[in-house]
Amino acid sequence: MIKTLIVDAQKCSGCRACETYCSLKHEGVCNPAKGRIHIVKWEQDGTFVPINCMRCEAPACELICPKHATYRNYTTGAMEVDPYLCIGCMSCVFACPFGATFVDPDDGRILKCDLCAGDPTCVKVCPTGALTYEEISKETYLKLIENADRIPLLVREAIGGEE
Amino acid sequence: MMNGWTGKILNVDLSEGKITTEPTEPYVGNYIGGRGLGVRLIYDHYAPGTDAFDPGNPLIFNTGPLTGTAVPGSGRVDVTALSPMSKLRAKSNFGGYWGPELKYAGYDHIIFQGKSEKPCYLWIKDGRVEIRDAENLWGMDTFETQKALQQELGDPEIKVVCIGPAGERLVQFACLITETGDAAGRTGMGAVMGSKNLKAIAVRGSGGVQVARPEELLEVSIKVNQEIRENPAYQELANWGVSRSIPMMYEHSFFPVGYFEDVCWEDIIKNYQGIEFMEKYQLKSLGCFNCPGRCMSFFSVPEIGKGVTSCEPFSGFTGAVWNLDMDVFWEATVLCNRMGIDGTETSACIGLLMELYHDKIITAEDTDDVAMERGSKEAILTTIRKIADREGYGDLLAQGQMAAAEKFGPEAVEKVDQIKGLAPHAYEYRAYKGTGLMAAVGHRGDPLPLRGSLLEFDWNMSAEWFQQVAKEKYGSEESAIPTSYEGKALPAFISEHMERVADNLGICKWIYTLFVYEDAEMPTRLFNLVTGKDWKIDKLLKVSERVRNLERMFDVRQGLRRADDTLPKKFFEQPLSKGKFKGEVMDKEKFEQMKDEYYEIRGWDKETGIPTREKLEELDLGDVADEVLGRA
Repeated sequence: MIKTLIVDAQKCSGCRACETYCSLKHEGVCNPAKGRIHIVKWEQDGTFVPINCMRCEAPACELICPKHATYRNYTTGAMEVDPYLCIGCMSCVFACPFGATFVDPDDGRILKCDLCAGDPTCVKVCPTGALTYEEISKETYLKLIENADRIPLLVREAIGGEE
Repeated sequence: MMNGWTGKILNVDLSEGKITTEPTEPYVGNYIGGRGLGVRLIYDHYAPGTDAFDPGNPLIFNTGPLTGTAVPGSGRVDVTALSPMSKLRAKSNFGGYWGPELKYAGYDHIIFQGKSEKPCYLWIKDGRVEIRDAENLWGMDTFETQKALQQELGDPEIKVVCIGPAGERLVQFACLITETGDAAGRTGMGAVMGSKNLKAIAVRGSGGVQVARPEELLEVSIKVNQEIRENPAYQELANWGVSRSIPMMYEHSFFPVGYFEDVCWEDIIKNYQGIEFMEKYQLKSLGCFNCPGRCMSFFSVPEIGKGVTSCEPFSGFTGAVWNLDMDVFWEATVLCNRMGIDGTETSACIGLLMELYHDKIITAEDTDDVAMERGSKEAILTTIRKIADREGYGDLLAQGQMAAAEKFGPEAVEKVDQIKGLAPHAYEYRAYKGTGLMAAVGHRGDPLPLRGSLLEFDWNMSAEWFQQVAKEKYGSEESAIPTSYEGKALPAFISEHMERVADNLGICKWIYTLFVYEDAEMPTRLFNLVTGKDWKIDKLLKVSERVRNLERMFDVRQGLRRADDTLPKKFFEQPLSKGKFKGEVMDKEKFEQMKDEYYEIRGWDKETGIPTREKLEELDLGDVADEVLGRA
């Protein structure tokens, strides 16, 4: 079963380790602006949301690319960009509904998460478990249980019974 | 561009509106960066005789070569100037996310000089620097200021360090705040910033920190990240903050109760509500930039507010002011952070008034009809507000504990417990002799956080084990035994150097050299991987020694002598009346002997406490010796 990167924003502490290690791994420099993952932060509310490629089933970035430079790596499921085909039009950046396709601030290259070829660095350094690399079936199963768990409570609340 | 350093020091003259840069490189061989390089900058830029609030007092921000790198705990920034409180070199340090952003924007250090005619703030974006009008920000609290700047500049990812209303009003112990509670708390940096009419520094950068050996760094750094996460001390901090260790600190007479009045307040040992408070209100635990440690708690308390805190306020706004109500602790903490005043000094101010009231030296009339009863909610919160607003008796306290005591009369003056013009770090020195020594000789009258001090506390947990550690690392089993006067100078010397390694590199000394890595090996390794240098640990420690001596020489130039290396006299005169260390008191003679030993190891003159010419020349500080000691 294919694994994927799962984000649980509730756990994120906003430490930016994922961004920084990502840039070190892929670009050989410590620069969150070159990360292929990005944390959006609301410090005063303690809310932090890591944004990363969702690896959509019908990816807007792939569909819109005029040179077919964006393609799926079927070993990992990641959407990658062939730098030799890419003309730098940034269509994929603007088409991405999540804002998860990033651009190198120095040279305009497209930065897409390649899941580190199946061994994501960000997951290794995430201290809170906000980022995990899991089999999709396991993750959906856990979500299912978690949701089902809440339903009896919601039903009781709805009918106005005791907690 | 260099590896590790961005290579640029930013000079901002607020009087002239002039902005220039100079290279970092000439300094790094002798001072590395961060605190160390900052010491050289303040030594060179401060003209003796300049008042702390004079435009000529430089305010300097210092990041290190590791700040902003993929090294865990690399979010630290050192701040220095002449302190309005001690009239010595100020030393303050904050974490959060501002330091890394400054480096991404292109600078290692910022030196502010002069004074802006009108309220202003500095805006730095990717090498573009602009002094902008801050008239509309003046009066805002620190949380509002950060939000307003992000809105004004149209980017929510801008990082801001700023002062609150207390800094604007020159409250002596005003601090700097970034995020929701990361503070450059001590020595009054907020007041110096306020005296320059500088409200905030906003930064945003997309440049990075270049690294010499990226692949190796990645490998080692991932390992460090995991080691920190597996460390029991950090698991405790990440899950519980410091809440669970507080009652233990009181039990072992390490934290004082009230205004260093005594120890072992049974109520707090039995009824400390920190854990319950944490379970109820902690949304999550947070850390600084790239830190898996997360030693801060993010609390959200309805009616009071949200924000982070760690460490000091947990005892400062509880035991030190006889308070067990955790809501009051939190309200006081948030208030201090929003107004921008140092929690440590503020709780000491309140503690002082409570003791004066208790001893009937002052009455409610002296404090605008607020009865300074021990533990009174009204007394605690009103005093904070009045200090920040400089209203009534708060205006007296805003000029410092001593200034306030002088107004109350000679009996009150006798009561003031300070070390070199600052409230001592709230440790109980009577039972912990080495900690007392470190506080007395220490650069800002503050032993925290030094490994040698922690060793004495750790001894309570497992005496034999820590005596063995003491023998291996500090040369004597006695170093770990708190009540012993033997073997205390060497741990002070070693810990001071280790502490400066972390401070010079721009990394967290809680992680490196204190809790997780207990010596300077790992920082040295990371330093070499980032900068591409091949320095041995001794070379980094030598820089630390140079920095320590230069700090001392700055203070000597300000008039500091051996007699100033002391503790409040209470510690020599009033033995502890109860608790585990009942009867302990600091023996003056033995205390002076510990100091002799310390000066001896340091190569300082025992009579005066001044570094010798020989020592200074050995450390390439001949120019400093010439200036301060006179030409040979």
